[in-house]
Amino acid sequence: MTDAAVTMDFHPRPAPGSARPWAFPVPERGALASGLTVLRCHRPGQQVASVQICLDMPLDAEPGGLDGVAAIMMSALAEGTSEHTAEEFAAEMERCGATLDATADYPGARVSLEVPVSRLAKALGLLTEALRTPAFPGSEIERLVRNRLDVIPLEMASPGRRAAKQLAQELFPASARLSRPRGGTEDTVPRIDEAAVRAFYQAHVRPATATAVVVGDLSGIDLDAVLASTLGGWTGDAAEPVPIPSAAADDTGRVVIVDRPGAVQTQLLIGRTGPDRHDPVWPALVLGTYCLGGTLTSRLDRVLREEKGYTYGIRAAQRVLRSPAPRTAGQAMGLSVLAISGSVDTASTGPALDDVWKVLRTLAAEGLTEAERDTAVQNLVGVAPLEYERAASVARTLADQVEQHLPDEYQAQLYAHLAETGTAEATAAVIAAFPENRLVTILVGDASHVEAPVKALGIGNVEVVTA
Amino acid sequence: MGHAVTEQAGSGGLTATEHRLDNGLRLVLSEDHLNPVAAVCLWYDVGSRHEVRGRTGLAHLFEHLMFQGSAQVKGNGHFELIQGAGGSLNGTTSFERTNYFETMPAHQLELALWLEADRMGSLLAALDEESLQNQRDVVKNERRQRYDNIPYGTAFERMTALAYPEGHPYHHIPIGSMADLDAVTLDDARAFFRANYAPDNAVLAVVGDIDPGQVRRWAEKYFGSIPSYDGKVPPRDGTLPDIIGAELRVEIREEVPARALMAAYRLPRDGTRDCDAAELALTVLGDGVASRLYSRLVRRDRTAVTTGVGLLRLAGAPSLGWLDVKASGSAQIPQIEAAVDEELARLRAEAPGAEEMERAQALVEREWLDRLATVAGRADELCRYAVLFGDPQLAFTAVNRVLDITAEEVRAVAAARLRPDNRAVLAYEPVTAKDTVGPVSDRASGADKGDKRDGAGQ
Repeated sequence: MTDAAVTMDFHPRPAPGSARPWAFPVPERGALASGLTVLRCHRPGQQVASVQICLDMPLDAEPGGLDGVAAIMMSALAEGTSEHTAEEFAAEMERCGATLDATADYPGARVSLEVPVSRLAKALGLLTEALRTPAFPGSEIERLVRNRLDVIPLEMASPGRRAAKQLAQELFPASARLSRPRGGTEDTVPRIDEAAVRAFYQAHVRPATATAVVVGDLSGIDLDAVLASTLGGWTGDAAEPVPIPSAAADDTGRVVIVDRPGAVQTQLLIGRTGPDRHDPVWPALVLGTYCLGGTLTSRLDRVLREEKGYTYGIRAAQRVLRSPAPRTAGQAMGLSVLAISGSVDTASTGPALDDVWKVLRTLAAEGLTEAERDTAVQNLVGVAPLEYERAASVARTLADQVEQHLPDEYQAQLYAHLAETGTAEATAAVIAAFPENRLVTILVGDASHVEAPVKALGIGNVEVVTA
Repeated sequence: MGHAVTEQAGSGGLTATEHRLDNGLRLVLSEDHLNPVAAVCLWYDVGSRHEVRGRTGLAHLFEHLMFQGSAQVKGNGHFELIQGAGGSLNGTTSFERTNYFETMPAHQLELALWLEADRMGSLLAALDEESLQNQRDVVKNERRQRYDNIPYGTAFERMTALAYPEGHPYHHIPIGSMADLDAVTLDDARAFFRANYAPDNAVLAVVGDIDPGQVRRWAEKYFGSIPSYDGKVPPRDGTLPDIIGAELRVEIREEVPARALMAAYRLPRDGTRDCDAAELALTVLGDGVASRLYSRLVRRDRTAVTTGVGLLRLAGAPSLGWLDVKASGSAQIPQIEAAVDEELARLRAEAPGAEEMERAQALVEREWLDRLATVAGRADELCRYAVLFGDPQLAFTAVNRVLDITAEEVRAVAAARLRPDNRAVLAYEPVTAKDTVGPVSDRASGADKGDKRDGAGQ
């Protein structure tokens, strides 16, 4: 190009210096007299502490017909205690500068507290009240139920959420809790009342089956004393783990179009099930999936975004749905959902799906290259110190390990395993994860425009459902 | 390299030094050796306010082109090299600036500087029609994904267009319109680069596990030979009256899942004490589950399913603050609006109590601590204060200024600004698909709720 008129001095690309070692922190594990397990981790400089309370309460524990009771119960923990009304509790917590979030997911439930370390003790006192003496006022439960019913249509208006709901429904039989939304449905939520919430709390919330993860700059804090005067006061009996029934997934290759007349884009969600993180294939799966769709320079985006411009970005990823302790009698196998997701403009839907399948076929035929594998390892391992600067990111990963019954060293070892995983293993794992004829494709978009071009691709039976 | 200033900062003992290269590039350095990471952040003093009629979206589209290669970096090499070095990266475009950032393992820092210098000095050697066409399509899909294909997706765009009148540099949001994106030519992109992407129009912050002397030598080596440019066209003047003058209102009949009431207010400019007071007023009103709007509408009246507030701090025009209420069940807009107006009137009439001030200030403080908790967050804030206010050190004392605001100042700013004659209101009424007039794409160029701080990412 002649008009460039480049006048700067050029230098060769610099080589890296020598790396300072970094390792994912291994927490200090302990327990309170009540049976509550405590993982603590001192992170110098992190002035916002993160506390995660993991409750061993998978959604499979919900009584039949009461989908959503776990989520309502978790929300209700903060809606009044023996000492504070709902409004007082919220104000006290926010005067600590804290955010409190309580959620119920398929593998377990979680309370997340983020608060400046200077106010950690006060916030832990409030959190203890919520866990130990929730008031569950009838009027607040009723409000949460109505609120949940209001939220369902808001969530379903999001193309990504709508697609995820459909994929779960397609993959799992209706009898499996995994087939149904975490927060329940219009049919089940209205049945939830104060009595159901109390009963669920009594059955599943106790320190003996809970773990507290505390991360932050703990240098100025006598954490043992703080815990003794706060979470230490939460007591209860012992309990057996909730049995997890097995659920066979149907990954027959097929397409379901959720019709959204007039939609300017089509949301794609192409998935099936895979193993959980106990499976030794996991590092190879992470590596192979990154090469397929982890970033803008991965195989999918290299074609669909950077060559064709069909999308702002397509990603491939895996998410653990259930992860019981391995080899426990009566427990089902762990499961994850493996998926390719993104959105493409309506007119490009057929060509974009065609390209996704071409990418998968090429991958299956030719495998990954050594260079691709090397770059992926360097990124996945290299970004670890960046990803774990904040206390909250360390705490969430530790809590995920607890919830998924993984050892405390899991994340640190994962980096070592990734570095040892070769191109052949990563190739085999990603090909096995995304076989072209065993993928369930959900499209949320305008069926009148996308049905015909998608049928022409021959990637399975095409069904149209209403939004 | 110019003078160096060291100053003990207010927040957490963080410090920064400032330097200037002969070509005008400002350099801000801040050491933190707790983790082996280093953040590079480069703010160019150009945003969507610099765009002209018929070329909305150009600054953001151009940001995408910055990732398409330069003289020594082929194709997607910028992404590939950073990620291959274990780094993370992106760029975003807002009204008043465009930023580019890399967070690196500390021993890979020099690579990020080399890459940023290469595109600052030689982007035009690689920029071609193919990249432009491709990234135009990508950005149009970004617009669809983030604005046009989600419910209420264009609300922020609509409120902005009402609060800043036609012809004002902030009338449009950074994503731009589809028609204008289609109209961008290679010559537009080249001219935009020449005018705005020069070292004297940028601030480079490097934060983390660094040797400041070494970083200064690297900055001189890689950026020092890039010529400065004195032909930059300043943005059009963003001056507006403090108050809109009359309530502006649009009733929107769209295929949305619930009724919604949103209102945007012109607020004091960023960098002023009044702007900090306005942030606290919005926090008292609508941030958190103990805020006034949540307590009133969600807990007591039970007319709302969610309530929220947002603040877009702007230095070159009035800032924009907004309220967002999604209606519960059969609740009607007038009922919600009357309650919101009562809460606003109360805030204008009486200073918040001590406990409410404590709550609001504690929440804002935590947000600041969180923002400064990473080297990348710190680098971005240092750039912000250097570009918009000429003094990066202000980043470390920002939280102290918010904590210094009194309850009476909160009331006063509410009285001056949170008034019906200073707002642009959107009232959403859901309709089903068959009731809408025309296809969705025809309705898409209006407006949204975007992200508080950034217009767009890569």
